[in-house]
Amino acid sequence: MTAFLVLFFGELQRMQKYHIMTASVLVAFFWIGMLHLIEVPDITGFFILLVFFDIVSMAIIMIGVTIFFEKQEGVLKSLFVSPINRLEFISSKTIANLISNLVTIAIVSLYAILIQNINIHLIGLFFAIMLIGTFHSLVGFLIVYRSNDFTEMLIGMMKYFIVFMLPVSFEEFGLITSELYSNILFLLPTKASSTLITATSGGLDTGEVALAAVYLLVGTLILAYFVNRGFRKFVIRESGV
Amino acid sequence: MFSISDLRYQYPKNEEDTIKGIDFEIKTGEIFGLLGPSGVGKSTTQKILTRQLDDFRGEIKYQGKSITDYDKNFYQDIGVGFEIPVHFSRLTAEENLDFFKQLYKTNADTDQMLERLGLYPDKDKKVGEYSKGMKVRLNFIRALLNQPKMLFLDEPTNGLDPKNARIIKDMIAEFKEAGGTVLLTTHLMNDVEELCDQVAFMADGRIVETNTPKNLKMEYGSRLLKVEYSDNGQVKEANFKLDDLGENQEFQQIIKNKKILTMHSQEMTLDNIFIEITGRR
Repeated sequence: MTAFLVLFFGELQRMQKYHIMTASVLVAFFWIGMLHLIEVPDITGFFILLVFFDIVSMAIIMIGVTIFFEKQEGVLKSLFVSPINRLEFISSKTIANLISNLVTIAIVSLYAILIQNINIHLIGLFFAIMLIGTFHSLVGFLIVYRSNDFTEMLIGMMKYFIVFMLPVSFEEFGLITSELYSNILFLLPTKASSTLITATSGGLDTGEVALAAVYLLVGTLILAYFVNRGFRKFVIRESGV
Repeated sequence: MFSISDLRYQYPKNEEDTIKGIDFEIKTGEIFGLLGPSGVGKSTTQKILTRQLDDFRGEIKYQGKSITDYDKNFYQDIGVGFEIPVHFSRLTAEENLDFFKQLYKTNADTDQMLERLGLYPDKDKKVGEYSKGMKVRLNFIRALLNQPKMLFLDEPTNGLDPKNARIIKDMIAEFKEAGGTVLLTTHLMNDVEELCDQVAFMADGRIVETNTPKNLKMEYGSRLLKVEYSDNGQVKEANFKLDDLGENQEFQQIIKNKKILTMHSQEMTLDNIFIEITGRR
């Protein structure tokens, strides 16, 4: 088995042992509860909002949770003197994180499709989760690099939410409807994320969706470069200096 | 196995070098002790040799090749034993070892090591439920699980009862007997005296002395015998040179006529040598 697969399956094993997967399932049921209590004829809009919020927030927070668990237990030190490279470390965490994202969204989608009869393009949703989840897992790494503990990491995440999530949420909730505002939002990765998820329920211009996908893809590559580059400093810091 | 020349290292946020140009060699099959007070650069040196810190200056060769030329497979050859716990607390000892074993091409018989270190009955217990001593023993097994050629050990017997410390020391000696090389960092001079072939004392980022423990004791000790004896109800003390003790009349008289209270050769302990060389208590 390659080092990547060992790390990846190790992540999945620990997600189960540390009840992270259980927490993902509970979050999914919490979202279902919310969707169930909303008294509107079509919950598609709320479903999209929940998926958007879930992928972005959980992708960032799960990276923080797993890394700070490992830091707290000293395991990072042991991993850093094992025959693995930084790419294997980063990618195994990111992909395991995507699995957690997929489980949550799959449960919520199952409810939304079977019980609430909404129309969602599932393959499109799958690719959207992959792209948005990867992008925001890498954002999670960058926040972790700049945080000394989990609390600092949460503060970093809140800053990201305020700067990148809130402006998009204002538009999603219809609080700001200006076209100029909407166009400016296209500068944000969260707007691209929201666009991709919205597209899974149809009705969006193909060019706009393609632009959002390219934005996130290029953004992911740029972030991957910085995450990879920042890893060495992170190792120096976590090796106890 | 390792040759280190003019090694220097500066941490990104520090104004001056932490390691200030050190040279030493660790020969294949020897146990090399790196000693010194806290904060003099021992851990930094070990981190550089284990490639946790890579932007050093100077030259480090492992088996004749610069360590910067090795890829991740460098870690197939080495084992690192940490002083602090380094295991997933919610996984059992066996799950932890199995996880790390899969990362290596060769594996040691960890069941046998668990058995020897008294952990086998608790191998299915979560590591979070282990005592400090059990975690230290598990760390040692973790360091050996890939059958390394080179072992880096940081205070391997710290926090252990004498029985388990003995087992660990025996295992280190056996590792050496089997051709393994060890870099040992410890404050326990008994361990150093018992295990190390060569020791280097560090102070302020430099190596200030390198020698065998035996030579150090000879170099720093005085070849004197100190005798305390009772003379007309008074306790008296006399020092005699060891070299001509057999012919020393005064010594012979004391032995013959006085009541000897204590008699000690004045060789220096490694503890005292440590204090003298590094200048700290």
